[in-house]
Amino acid sequence: MSDFERVATVSEIAPGGRLSILVDEIPSLLIRVGDDFFAIEDVCSHDGQPLTNGPLRDCSITCPRHGARFDLRTGQPLCMPATEPISTFEVQVRDGGVYVRPRP
Amino acid sequence: MSATLSSATRPASFDAASFEQFLKTRREPEWVTGLRRHAFEAYRESLVTELDPEEWKRVDIRAFRSDKFAIPAAAHSSTAMETLLADRAEFAGAVSHVDTNCTRTTLADKWVARGVLFGSLTDLIQTHGDVLKPHLMTRGVKPESDRFSAWHAAFWTGGTVLYVPRNVEVTEPLYSLIGLGTDGAADFSHTLIILEEGASATLLEETTSASPEHAGLHVGAVELLLASGSNLRYVQLQNWNDKVWHFAHQVGRVEADAYLQWTVGGLGSRLAHIHQDVFLDGRGASAEVNGVTFATEKQLISYYTQQTHNAPNTRSDLLYKDVVRDKARCIWRGMIKVAKDAQRTDGYQRNDGLILSDTCRVDAIPGLEIEADDVRCTHGATCGRVDEEQLFYCMCRGLTRGEAMHVIVEGFFQRVYDRIPVEIVRETLGHAVERKLGIGE
Repeated sequence: MSDFERVATVSEIAPGGRLSILVDEIPSLLIRVGDDFFAIEDVCSHDGQPLTNGPLRDCSITCPRHGARFDLRTGQPLCMPATEPISTFEVQVRDGGVYVRPRP
Repeated sequence: MSATLSSATRPASFDAASFEQFLKTRREPEWVTGLRRHAFEAYRESLVTELDPEEWKRVDIRAFRSDKFAIPAAAHSSTAMETLLADRAEFAGAVSHVDTNCTRTTLADKWVARGVLFGSLTDLIQTHGDVLKPHLMTRGVKPESDRFSAWHAAFWTGGTVLYVPRNVEVTEPLYSLIGLGTDGAADFSHTLIILEEGASATLLEETTSASPEHAGLHVGAVELLLASGSNLRYVQLQNWNDKVWHFAHQVGRVEADAYLQWTVGGLGSRLAHIHQDVFLDGRGASAEVNGVTFATEKQLISYYTQQTHNAPNTRSDLLYKDVVRDKARCIWRGMIKVAKDAQRTDGYQRNDGLILSDTCRVDAIPGLEIEADDVRCTHGATCGRVDEEQLFYCMCRGLTRGEAMHVIVEGFFQRVYDRIPVEIVRETLGHAVERKLGIGE
């Protein structure tokens, strides 16, 4: 399986900020909430299009088109119209860098 | 050249300096270089312009990195290509390109004697530039259409040309192969078919990869230019490995009383997006477009088709059938356009999707834009799963679940197969489908 890959520095993303990255060639979003980092697949499971600019609230992201909301920690859908989860990735923060890999 | 291009030493392949370098290697007539320069400017401009969301919003190319690919310098002439079609029939002629270099050109003497040209664009642009100049990217594929057409027009690397003079009927099929042999290779093949008045021909074209492990890029174009009363059957079987990015602009232009039969097989590639346009330009022109797509694993295969009726009494008939499995996606966006003067038009388009797993997806979006008031235009799309009762029925008669699935998938494709008049193409598609289902040889 893939190793952790450095995708950003901690200082690069302000709290509440985000960065588009590729994890294992999957378009993904790295999101900072407070001091925690989350990495999610950047595709809404409802319509198959990007979540990139979706608003963040309480550790969740809302799809900018139809309002589906996903938990950043688990990828689980929190409201309609999404019924399927999105992928999330493992994140490590060390030595001022953010590292991400797909879950086993 | 080494078998594998090292990504560490590869330059940014498609910037201005690389373009100049590329031009030096081509040594082409001035008019060709001029067209390339014009297209390169359009390409540079297009990079900062958003792709048309209507066409691209369902096609996710965020993971595509053009700097991972480069045009190879020379091909290994010995690179073995596994082909689906090459050995299945006697062909009147064959043209092969491997890693953008033409590795084989043959044409039976009797057709050479009758003035048929069949060879590589790279060679024929030198020897028969006057024949090609009026046709090459003037009426069919337009460089300024979008980023990919401009990119192709600036960097085209060769490709197969077929020219059939007036009233010559090439009775045996011709064969064309586009192969990718090395890792990270980019291919910009251009297929150009010109039929003069009353001519007729059949070309079977196939794309393939030497190794299942090699990543690749194809930015292609196809131009099918049919003069009045001509008759072309063109088949393109896209069978890259699942690490190839495939982008193509394909245009057919059909003049009065000409008939185009165009069959597209989409089996390979990691992501394929094909912009396919058919123009019916003369009274009585007719076109039949067939599509067979089978996507598995994480493949995404997308078609953006347009049937444009510019003249009265024209007919177009499009039928696409898609089977998807695993996490694959198939997208089809179709449009019939009828110009104000194109009265008595008969236009039809249909896409059927068959879904074999819970995690795959088909998007089918037909459309009509009609300005004339005396036409018959119909369209439709269906999408569904394999019926468990049908599977159960087959299994009751002694078939395994896999065999039953195969019978049902074959049956689903049968209506398109029935429209393909070339037997080896039907057989080949059948075998390819079997292999994808995991039950073929």
